[in-house]
Amino acid sequence: MDIATQTEVLLRILGYETWTLAGTTATVICFENAAVIGFVHVFPSADDLLTCWQESQNVALSRHGPALRAAGAKAWNVYSVFLTEEQAPTQQRAIERIEEDFTLTRKIARAGVRTQDDLEHTLLPLAAVRAKPLISETDFEDRLRARLKDVSPDALTAFLGTTAAEEVARILAEKA
Amino acid sequence: MRLDYIEVCGFRGFRDKLRVTFGSGFTVITGRNGVGKSTLFDAVEYALTGSIDKYIVEKAAQESLSDYLWWRGAGRADAHYVTASFKGDAGEVFTVTRSRESGADKTPTEIEAALCRNGRPDDALRQLCRTSIIRDEWIAALSVDLSETERFELVRGALGLGQGSDFAAKAKAVLKAAEATYVSRKAAYTDVRDQLTRMLTQLTEAKDAIVRAGDVSAAMQTLVVATPDAPQELVARLAAGRAALAKGRAQLGAIGEAIFQGREILSRRHALETPEAVAKRIEAQQRLTAATRSKEDAERAVTEANKVLTIEERGNDIATSLATIIEHGERLGLHDAHCPLCAAERTDEEFAAGLLLARQRMTVLAAGVAVARQQAAAAREAAAHSSANFEQARVAWAEIESELTRQTAREQAHVEIFERNSLDFRFVQDPDGLERYLNVERDRLINLERALLTLEVSQSVAKTASLEERVAALRQVAETAASAVESSEKALVVAKTMDRGVRSISGEIMDERLAQISPLLNELYQRLRPHFDWRSIEYSVRGDVRRFLSLKVGDGLNPQFVFSSGQRRAAGLAFLLSVHLARAWTSWRTLLMDDPVQHIDDFRALHLIEVLAALRLGGRQVVCAVEDEALAELLCRRLLSTSESIGKRYDLDIGPNGATTVILETEIPPMPTGVLRARAAIQAVG
Repeated sequence: MDIATQTEVLLRILGYETWTLAGTTATVICFENAAVIGFVHVFPSADDLLTCWQESQNVALSRHGPALRAAGAKAWNVYSVFLTEEQAPTQQRAIERIEEDFTLTRKIARAGVRTQDDLEHTLLPLAAVRAKPLISETDFEDRLRARLKDVSPDALTAFLGTTAAEEVARILAEKA
Repeated sequence: MRLDYIEVCGFRGFRDKLRVTFGSGFTVITGRNGVGKSTLFDAVEYALTGSIDKYIVEKAAQESLSDYLWWRGAGRADAHYVTASFKGDAGEVFTVTRSRESGADKTPTEIEAALCRNGRPDDALRQLCRTSIIRDEWIAALSVDLSETERFELVRGALGLGQGSDFAAKAKAVLKAAEATYVSRKAAYTDVRDQLTRMLTQLTEAKDAIVRAGDVSAAMQTLVVATPDAPQELVARLAAGRAALAKGRAQLGAIGEAIFQGREILSRRHALETPEAVAKRIEAQQRLTAATRSKEDAERAVTEANKVLTIEERGNDIATSLATIIEHGERLGLHDAHCPLCAAERTDEEFAAGLLLARQRMTVLAAGVAVARQQAAAAREAAAHSSANFEQARVAWAEIESELTRQTAREQAHVEIFERNSLDFRFVQDPDGLERYLNVERDRLINLERALLTLEVSQSVAKTASLEERVAALRQVAETAASAVESSEKALVVAKTMDRGVRSISGEIMDERLAQISPLLNELYQRLRPHFDWRSIEYSVRGDVRRFLSLKVGDGLNPQFVFSSGQRRAAGLAFLLSVHLARAWTSWRTLLMDDPVQHIDDFRALHLIEVLAALRLGGRQVVCAVEDEALAELLCRRLLSTSESIGKRYDLDIGPNGATTVILETEIPPMPTGVLRARAAIQAVG
């Protein structure tokens, strides 16, 4: 998967402006919306990520120094996202530890980003809530009618209507 | 709907009127402990429900929340009320004011109508507050730490099953009514069957009696003979026959008694009239006569002897006097030849002869009294003997006389038995004849009884037809009752099917809803990342009648037991937020969080803020109270503020009068947009 391209696609879907930053060792994608600005750094390997993330971050920040200084409070909402496609179980924890470093930027670091789904999970902090359960009115009556098709329709209508329970019981006995 | 403002006056720690207008995007409320941040959330809940759920069970020293709802500090509050105002996307406004004096100006129905949609759960306003206001103290308690059944109820209540719960109650009522009908009909059927059984027994007995019955005409002849004076009508004649039978049986008893007595009397009479008995009586009478005579003779002899003795004793007295005189005269001797006793002239010889003669006379007199005494004693002894003989004879005769008297009395009583029972006097002295009569009479009565039974059975022939008709009718009734039981049994089965169906569909809907919110729960869990390794959370539902909702992380582990308190709160927040977001039945799109970051480390607090930012991005209004100023600043920076959905910050503190005051109200301006790109472009151009 082309992480850089897919990241840009996803970020744009999420409402961010994106563009790439040329002239860096790693691929860097810049992004910004009304509240957040950030840089996605894509590394070829986990080792590269662990070795170069700080340098890559600093390069991106220094390149955008004037802009960040002019951003006011928004400069506090800078994200640095470090990604690599390589599966690195032994390095996963070390990579994710990077996120606990609060200096300069809020960091997201992840190895083994291979699918769209991996990418979406990784960039969750930058996205609105994805899952939107659509719990609509229940079709309880229809379901009950389908489930109780052996019950007399009159009795079922009485049960589903405002008829008193005793009367429904009487109708059941009558129709039995 | 969003929360527009809350206005409080005299409510808990707010003495003076204070209005907090919320940013339509977000509002961050900050201040140290006890400044009244939570009270603003309480005010929202109180305005909507008239209660504050978190205090419901908290009672101490007989006091409860109602004692502390209104301002109790120094000074007087101008008024005591809470107003919550909501604004819709189209600008519509809904305001509810609840005051100490007059309660709410809107009914619960009106409030529900403004904030809820169809499919709302029972107790919708309480559920609304419970799932909209997430309080620090409830984050773990209402989520991870809940029992599985409580958790299921929380989710069910919050998501709402709409009609499902109504139908579940109704299905139970129908089942109960069907059961009652079945039980009642079953009892009626059993009752009819019992009646039928009894009736069949009577019918069988009547038929058996008919089979056993003899010749009716012969029986009638017997009855007529027994009751010659009875009316012709059969029933009356049967009654007369029964009376005659009873009378005859009573007479049989009397006859038996008469036979016994007659035999006894006859036996005794024979005993009294034997020659030996007669001779004994004559001898006793003779002995009595002789003894009487002997006794009288002896008594006369005693009288005579006593008379002699009296005379002799008188002579003896004279002799005693004579002896004294003689002794006196002897002592005196002759006096001048004259007897000193009689003055007669006497010689010594004559005097001595006279004394001797006197002494002889005296001896004679004394000897007579002794004889008389002996004779009198002998006469008394003879009289006593005669008297004893007489007493013996008298007693013997009295016994004989007594026996004769008793026999006479027996005979008299025997006669009275005959008189009293109208028995034939021919048998007074003929008990054997009476016994023969008794046997004849007994045979007659037995024949009469048989005749009566025969005739009564002949009547039961008619009764049998009537019984058969009634049996047939009862069979019909029993058949109808059996049919009714069968139909009510079928109805009961259907009612059970309905009940099962309703419960099953309710469960299915619940399962489906849980399945629908599962991705949301997982997404929120992944965003909050309470644990490094366990990246997902699953739920499972089990149980039919009582349902259980369990949360599992990792390889089926219960987060309640494997997570730290901070991790539990993070997982709990994911659960509560997913429930909050999944509600389809409310139009109120405000999430209120009261100090949600306690016990959570900075890294996870950052995740939570990002989740709130994500909710903001989704258009939800967020109101969040935090104690930490840096966190408040972070929230204000990170949550999206736009010109349409502005953010606000309130800094609270306690004023000089001890009441809560707003020391700073700040509107959070939107962040500049496109700054990085613009600069980058400028740099690129340059």
